[in-house]
Amino acid sequence: MALSEHDLTAEFERTRGALRSYILRITANRQDAEDITQETWMRAHRSLANFKGESSVKTWLFAIAQNIARDHLRALKRWPENVGDICKEAAMSDPDFFREAMTIHKTSPQARFEIREHIAFCFTCVSRSLPLEQQLALMLKEVYEFTVKEIAEIMQNTEAMVKYWLHTGRSRMIDVFDRRCALINKEGACHQCTELNGIFNPKQNAQEEAVKIQMVRDAAKQDKEHLFDLRMVVMKELDPFTSPAADLQLHHLEFDRQVMEGRPEQV
Amino acid sequence: MRHLLMTLSLMIALLSTAQEHKAATAKTTFHRETSVSTSIKADPAIIWALLTNASDYVRWNSTITSMEGEIAPGGRIRLRSTLDAKRTFKLKVKEFQPASRLAWGDGKGLRTFTLIPHDNGTVTFTMTERIGGLMFPMYAKYIPSFDASFDAFAADLKKESEAIADHDQP
Repeated sequence: MALSEHDLTAEFERTRGALRSYILRITANRQDAEDITQETWMRAHRSLANFKGESSVKTWLFAIAQNIARDHLRALKRWPENVGDICKEAAMSDPDFFREAMTIHKTSPQARFEIREHIAFCFTCVSRSLPLEQQLALMLKEVYEFTVKEIAEIMQNTEAMVKYWLHTGRSRMIDVFDRRCALINKEGACHQCTELNGIFNPKQNAQEEAVKIQMVRDAAKQDKEHLFDLRMVVMKELDPFTSPAADLQLHHLEFDRQVMEGRPEQV
Repeated sequence: MRHLLMTLSLMIALLSTAQEHKAATAKTTFHRETSVSTSIKADPAIIWALLTNASDYVRWNSTITSMEGEIAPGGRIRLRSTLDAKRTFKLKVKEFQPASRLAWGDGKGLRTFTLIPHDNGTVTFTMTERIGGLMFPMYAKYIPSFDASFDAFAADLKKESEAIADHDQP
């Protein structure tokens, strides 16, 4: 099935938002997300004649984007699961971090602090502790709702391996959040979302805010799979570029990336 | 008569199922060899991925308490198991034929894993460990039986592989 330039443009415009947020969530790098999205468009346009219609245009575009991002990501070290602790310590000893964050919070229309926004931010960071293929497959399935077959096409691997990555990645993330996240486990070591809520929204009761989120309300049921699904619902509901907290969270993400990877790099 | 035949068939089926997982050990003066075999209904790639991902072992394998390193050609791993909780085994990967054959070991022993796929979608997994040498009679009595650990390893691998293969999401 041939794809016309008009159809490609229309499909790219429909896909652009999801593509850009996916790249941001796997690279944790705003500039890379913008650049790779643009490069994806150029490569798709150049190879329009090669599109055979064997997959959807959206799957094809994600495959192109992932090819561009993957080599870059392979060169980077994976992050540890306690990335939040490490970056919190770095932020506490960096007066510029909170000064910049407060300025953004007060001046940008997209800089409200919300606990659910931080949940999504947190998953983006912690999922980088997974082996790369597990992180990519998990994000494509749980957040962007591709099928196993489509993920196999995007990742140019077998459905069996995709199933392995999904199963293993999901199991690991459930275990990490079960041990660390105080929203779902009272013994959890990480309270960062409610601590930050206290800083940015001092008049709010953080616990009252937290229980507005289904995942927190259902925590007592202790169904770990269900709680992970609800965490993914939060991810799906938010676009990290257009959400009401985007500027604040993007600032926070860039800080974490620089703590973990050093100076900004270009793709 | 019919009832007797059905009972006999059931007993034979139960016995063959039990034997499929059962580890067995053969001993000679200078060597000991333990082997276990089981049939797994999963793609060999899934079983191979589980066998070669060192950092994931503890999650699914109840016989391994820690594993570090890289299970790759010539790779080195540091392994702790329930067989001897205080000892860290420092092993080298000696054979690595993707989705087919893997072996690691040290100067005293060699553990070999083989995968044989079948047309019906199952894979025969076999794990064998041969330990020994000229000094073996001196320390043989200090080495615990591997049988229960091998049974648990095979059962864990089967359970995890089939759970992944049965992944019911589209």
